[in-house]
Amino acid sequence: MNYKLIFSISFSLMKARWRQTLVAAVGVTFSITMFIALLSFMTGLNGLLDGLILNRTPHVRIYNDIKPSKYQPVNLSGEYKQSHNFIKSVKSASGRQEIYNSAAILDMLRKDNRVTGVAPKIIAPVFFNAGTIDITGVINGIDVQSESTLFHFNDYIITGKPIDLKNVPNSIILGKGVAEKLLADPGDVVQVTTSQGDIMPLKVVGYFQSGLQDFDKVQCYTSINTAQKLLGKPNNYLTDIQVKLTDLNMAPAVAKEYGALFQADTEDIQTANSQFETGSFIRTLISYSVGITLLIVAGFGIYNILNMMIYEKMDAIAIMKATGFCGSDVNRIFIVIALSIGLFGGVAGLFLGFGVSVIIDQIPFRTAALPTITTFPVNYNPAYYFIGAIFSLVTTYFAGYFPARKASKVDPVVIIRGK
Amino acid sequence: MSEVILQASHINKSFHDPVTIPVLNDVSMSVNKGEFVSVVGRSGCGKSTLLYVLSTMDTDYEGQLWIDQQLVTNQKEKQLARIRNEKIGFVFQFHYLLNEFSVLRNVMLPGLKLNRYSEQETEHRAMERLKMLHIDELALKNANQLSGGQKQRVAIARALINDPAIIMGDEPTGNLDKKNGQLVFDIFRELSLQYQQTLLIVTHDPEFAGNTNRIIEMEDGRIIRQ
Ligand SMILES: Nc1ncnc2c1ncn2[C@@H]1O[C@H](COP(=O)(O)OP(=O)(O)OP(=O)(O)O)[C@@H](O)[C@H]1O
Ligand SMILES: [Mg+2]
Repeated sequence: MNYKLIFSISFSLMKARWRQTLVAAVGVTFSITMFIALLSFMTGLNGLLDGLILNRTPHVRIYNDIKPSKYQPVNLSGEYKQSHNFIKSVKSASGRQEIYNSAAILDMLRKDNRVTGVAPKIIAPVFFNAGTIDITGVINGIDVQSESTLFHFNDYIITGKPIDLKNVPNSIILGKGVAEKLLADPGDVVQVTTSQGDIMPLKVVGYFQSGLQDFDKVQCYTSINTAQKLLGKPNNYLTDIQVKLTDLNMAPAVAKEYGALFQADTEDIQTANSQFETGSFIRTLISYSVGITLLIVAGFGIYNILNMMIYEKMDAIAIMKATGFCGSDVNRIFIVIALSIGLFGGVAGLFLGFGVSVIIDQIPFRTAALPTITTFPVNYNPAYYFIGAIFSLVTTYFAGYFPARKASKVDPVVIIRGK
Repeated sequence: MSEVILQASHINKSFHDPVTIPVLNDVSMSVNKGEFVSVVGRSGCGKSTLLYVLSTMDTDYEGQLWIDQQLVTNQKEKQLARIRNEKIGFVFQFHYLLNEFSVLRNVMLPGLKLNRYSEQETEHRAMERLKMLHIDELALKNANQLSGGQKQRVAIARALINDPAIIMGDEPTGNLDKKNGQLVFDIFRELSLQYQQTLLIVTHDPEFAGNTNRIIEMEDGRIIRQ
């Protein structure tokens, strides 16, 4: 097979019709550009919005829920084992929310190699006393360092330094909404009442803003020690253990395992946020459909130009076949034309798509909800460039396939007779 | 007896459009090496149809056909293309030059397809043939810048590029004026005399036919005299 000859004929045909060829190639360029830009931006946005939830949600959360005991005394008694026992008006036990043997559990989790990080936590509902009114809130006793590395805690501190929680005794970081209600500035002292009625003054060292209004109106943060002191508990008291795993998808299985192992309630991220994947999926789907639609339109452009070329070049095809080119040679000539248009248009599209992504990346985008974001998010995943390149070649190949087949089937006798 | 280049035996062909019309009726003929043969007959008697069958482009016939001692009937499309490329040179009424290419490149194309010689050699051979036909100064012009007679000479040069066993022509002078027609005839004549080139030419021109070695006369799809 003499490819050099095939290529030279293909390029001569394209050169003779360079204007139409260019238009067809620009069609491919445009669609690939859009495809890349759209997908980079949309998945960038996906990452950002998912991060909003994912960054702050542990993959597995271990806690003790308030609920009625599964085993009522009558069921445990051997005497009534065989009977049907009807129990009415079961109430939740006043059982402790504390996680038993928390130190041992933490130790074990840190050794588990599926686990990338562990953050202990104390959650306690409180009242803030401001003048005559009491404002409800929730105090999260956290380990600032692990909370920052695992859940980007420091990204959401808009005033003050997160580490002050550790360094300043009896300090608190208020949610932005809480702070506004309390009119508390950094350095002020707020009175906190626990559900047991204990009162304790805490010093405000900063504000916290997550972007979720309802969240910021309630949540406040102290160190674990401060929370333990506030609740009057010993220093092994924890209500929550948050776990991050190496692989997010393992969460449901691991949660179940820990639940059985530690005799505690567990919750995995998929159950906690079942809806977030839907949004990402829809956005990705839209990007792909727009990109592919554009490519198909470009494909029709290529189909048209090739059909036109073949119609115009009937004589040339006939004489080539008469002088010894076989059907597959003619077929290859037109496939080469289609693929060249796809290749050059596609490569230009990849570069332009990258250019547009860079431009989008420069556009300022500030929102109160996302303090760390200053420009539109863009995801420069090489996979999209790869997919774009493959798409452009595949669509142009199919666009060229039928015209090329038609050309290869031209009967020289019919054409030569027609003259 | 000299070597047989082309042999057809009991060729039958009908068109089915929509009723079956027989066009070639038990045609048997042969052409020897170095012969200059013309085919004549009234319009519609089947001359072109016969030539397309003999040239292997039309495969829808009954009977058998040998080219250069090789049976070509029922060969695959690819194989037939190869045979045309190597053994047959065509000159049609219309020149069929490719406007995208220069004259030289047009002549070279079947040679490049054959791929027997390198590109430089093929170019050299193409130039030789253009020189032989006294159109070498047109080599670098585009095909559409030539006159009708010049184009037909380029087509002859193209037919000669692979040293074919036989040159077939379907009224190659039909589109040309008297002077150019004579010029083309003289070229064929020279090819035949000087290079022992085998030629099979369909023509309407009695004078043209009269000057060839042998005349095959057709009527209603039959050969009545050869
Ligand atoms: N595709 C076709 N379908 C049906 N009939 C056809 C077809 N092509 C040719 N014919 C018929 O076959 C017969 C022979 O045609 P052909 O072209 O071989 O004649 P010809 O001898 O070359 O005539 P001319 O001297 O005018 O070129 C004619 O009667 C023509 O009408
Ligand atoms: Mg004819």
